[in-house]
Amino acid sequence: MDTLNNWRERLISKTTRPTLITTYKYWLWFGFLLVITGNGVFQYWKQWQHGLYVTDMRDRISWGLYITAFVFFIGISHAGTLISAILRATKAGWRAPVTRIAEFITAVALLIGASFVVIDMGRPERIFNVYLFGRWQSPIMWDVMAITTYLTASVIYLSAPMIPDLALYRDRLADKVGVVRNFIYRTLSVNWKGSPKQQKLLGKAITIMMLVIIPIAVSVHTVVSWIFSMTLRAGWNTSIFGVLFVAGAIFSGVATLIIIMAILRRIYHWEEYLTEKHFLYLGYLLAAFGAFMVYVNLSEYLTEGFNLEEAGLFAFRQLFLEDFAAMFWFYIIGGLLGPVVLMLVPKTRTIAGVVTAAILVVVAMFLERYFIVVTGLRVPLMPYEAANYAPTFVEWSIFAAGLAIFCLLITIALKIFPMLAIWEMTEEHAADISDRPTEEPNMVGADIVGSLTSTERLPDAGPPAEGGGS
Amino acid sequence: MIYRHILSGARIAISILAAVTILMIVDPAVAAGIEIAVGAPDTVSVGQEVEVKAVLSQNGVPVEGAEVALTYQASLAGESARVEIATGTTDETGIAVMIYEQRADANGEMQVVYLGPDADPVEPYVLTIAVESAGPQLYEFEAGVKIPFVNGTLVILVISGVWFLIGLSAVYLVRVGWDGRGTSEASTPEDGSMWISTLLSTVAVITAIGMVIVFIRSPVSNTHIKDPHQYDRTPIAYVGVGFSYVGFGLNDESSAQTGDPIADGSVLYFKYGCAACHGLSGRGAVVGAPLVDEIGSFGGFSEDTREGPKGMSEYDEATISEENLQKIYAYLKDEG
Ligand code: HEC
Repeated sequence: MDTLNNWRERLISKTTRPTLITTYKYWLWFGFLLVITGNGVFQYWKQWQHGLYVTDMRDRISWGLYITAFVFFIGISHAGTLISAILRATKAGWRAPVTRIAEFITAVALLIGASFVVIDMGRPERIFNVYLFGRWQSPIMWDVMAITTYLTASVIYLSAPMIPDLALYRDRLADKVGVVRNFIYRTLSVNWKGSPKQQKLLGKAITIMMLVIIPIAVSVHTVVSWIFSMTLRAGWNTSIFGVLFVAGAIFSGVATLIIIMAILRRIYHWEEYLTEKHFLYLGYLLAAFGAFMVYVNLSEYLTEGFNLEEAGLFAFRQLFLEDFAAMFWFYIIGGLLGPVVLMLVPKTRTIAGVVTAAILVVVAMFLERYFIVVTGLRVPLMPYEAANYAPTFVEWSIFAAGLAIFCLLITIALKIFPMLAIWEMTEEHAADISDRPTEEPNMVGADIVGSLTSTERLPDAGPPAEGGGS
Repeated sequence: MIYRHILSGARIAISILAAVTILMIVDPAVAAGIEIAVGAPDTVSVGQEVEVKAVLSQNGVPVEGAEVALTYQASLAGESARVEIATGTTDETGIAVMIYEQRADANGEMQVVYLGPDADPVEPYVLTIAVESAGPQLYEFEAGVKIPFVNGTLVILVISGVWFLIGLSAVYLVRVGWDGRGTSEASTPEDGSMWISTLLSTVAVITAIGMVIVFIRSPVSNTHIKDPHQYDRTPIAYVGVGFSYVGFGLNDESSAQTGDPIADGSVLYFKYGCAACHGLSGRGAVVGAPLVDEIGSFGGFSEDTREGPKGMSEYDEATISEENLQKIYAYLKDEG
């Protein structure tokens, strides 16, 4: 029989696999990312030398791919924390294998997203003026505040539940990894011994963060949207932007999570833990948000279109019929309706279907960010010709480097951190196979989980793992 | 031949005639008999509503129904013009009351001028109204709707609350570490790594306090709606100020010292802002003429740049050295 102990040992060996085994493919992938990053750094150096002149941003269209990337990455960052916090708070029984990856995505995407603001500055060293002379009357300042808060909170929220797992790594892998990783494990596991008092303290820390991080995350993307909607510009100046951005952020975040989960599952053979059930549940979440996004868009465009003002006319035409029509309709049909259809049709209600939907969503959400930024600035404020904008090679290179660093940081994290939440998953599994709480003597942190996600699960937590399709 | 002489003679005659006519039309000395007297405060302060009374009389009799205007000499970007700031109509006592709001921190020469109904010119009344020292904020208006308690203090409270919770959670994590210190049942290879996490948490707490301070300080260091003296507008039209920024990019001196005069010139062309008016590669733009087409000799180019024709600013030796100007010239020549 597969005892709980066996199950846990297998989980540990599977989880530590990326940390202990490094194949040549890993280095190939690593080198590939380094090359793209290198090109980005070189192009940034050029921008540093010559100023923003090397981009295609000019007086009229003064935001472009960089700000698109900023909004896009901050959006992705909502994957993690929001999903894992909501799932934790609602005690969703299937969340454990998903949370750690999601939280990593959050921290990394936030770092990249925030950097793009600095990259967009012609004089990056002036970023400190925001702290020295910031005024809270300015939406930019709200953004700085919200993102700093979110970054701090998500780093804590990522590291706190990881402490018992890191302690496990510290104890088990001491002889198998080098000095640096040993040091990291020792430091970040903050002397974790699993004593009842420590468990209580950790439980408190996690609970506080779980509750605080949800409003913070919502506020972050709302405030990002306000950067646009607080200005008097056709297409931006709308009260629905906050909702649209937060929903879009969770939407693209879930999609990114699905893609990364699918990749890791493939490479490290985590089929046992990241099951079809997880993908389908996330797929349903995706479809639900897709439908909601359709509704938000409809509500927005119908209200604005009905009482169409002059500037709105221009904004509408470029979006629906002219320059940006292809992007826009791909976004609506492919990105919003696509996932709904894919999840409705039984045949595509599979892992492959979910991943396809996720890819569509990520692309569509990137395009959405792009056309929001550019079309808003394109609407002439005075009777002049509309300006045009097309990102230059420098801009594309730096954007690509942003994506590459995103992957790179996750790739590096794979070598160091447990990507599956071992103790939470063990606890979940224990609850699955037995009615009584676990007596596993060795199980670090079990009590906390007990106190956070009670072992009595909701009567119906979803269809059985293999029955997703029918 | 004779024909030509007659023609030029006629031309001169016509010109003289025209000049005399113009002089007659514009000459203010032509008396209509209407006289303007004005009553106004000597000094006012910024933001004050100022009442200016004009009294119109003709041969001692009040003039009723006359239109008058209060004007002052305004100058902007080298242009100077008379601007009307208030108008009024005289009542049966011949008095017109004009009210304006003092916005500028100094007044140029002001006049009360007669607008009609008589077509005959009337000598304007010249007056000066001094302005008390006003501070840097020239014009202040009441912004927005003030709702009690919905203000910066509330924002600071909310933000402090959030950061307090984050800090609290960090403190719990530090306590986890302190609790596990020195208990040797578990196979910890080494204790005493606490200082790093303590340090990190301390940094987090300091960041938290710092962020709150930034917000609290914000109204003091910048806009202060109650005390406008704190408000410093960004100076926008300073050329060559004392604190010019020296740094990387275009401002880095070495970026224009590559040894290649054409490459240097292209940098300098941007650095000195020529591109702003003359277009990206000297092909002309809305304001400035094209430079590359008929660039001519360096002498002419240099003279133009130093003198600044038609509203272009003068770039003297202290601003652009002769050497740098030659580089710009080389660049434009190359572009042409
Ligand atoms: C504020 C706008 C402005 C800036 C900045 C400016 N110029 Fe000019 N420049 C003008 C204008 C306006 C003219 C007159 C154009 C005309 O003749 O119609 C002019 C004329 C000239 C001319 C004479 C061209 C001709 O064909 O008569 C030269 C040479 C010149 N500028 C060089 C420069 C250089 C070199 C710089 C940078 C150091 C510079 N300008 C910066 C506005 C500017």
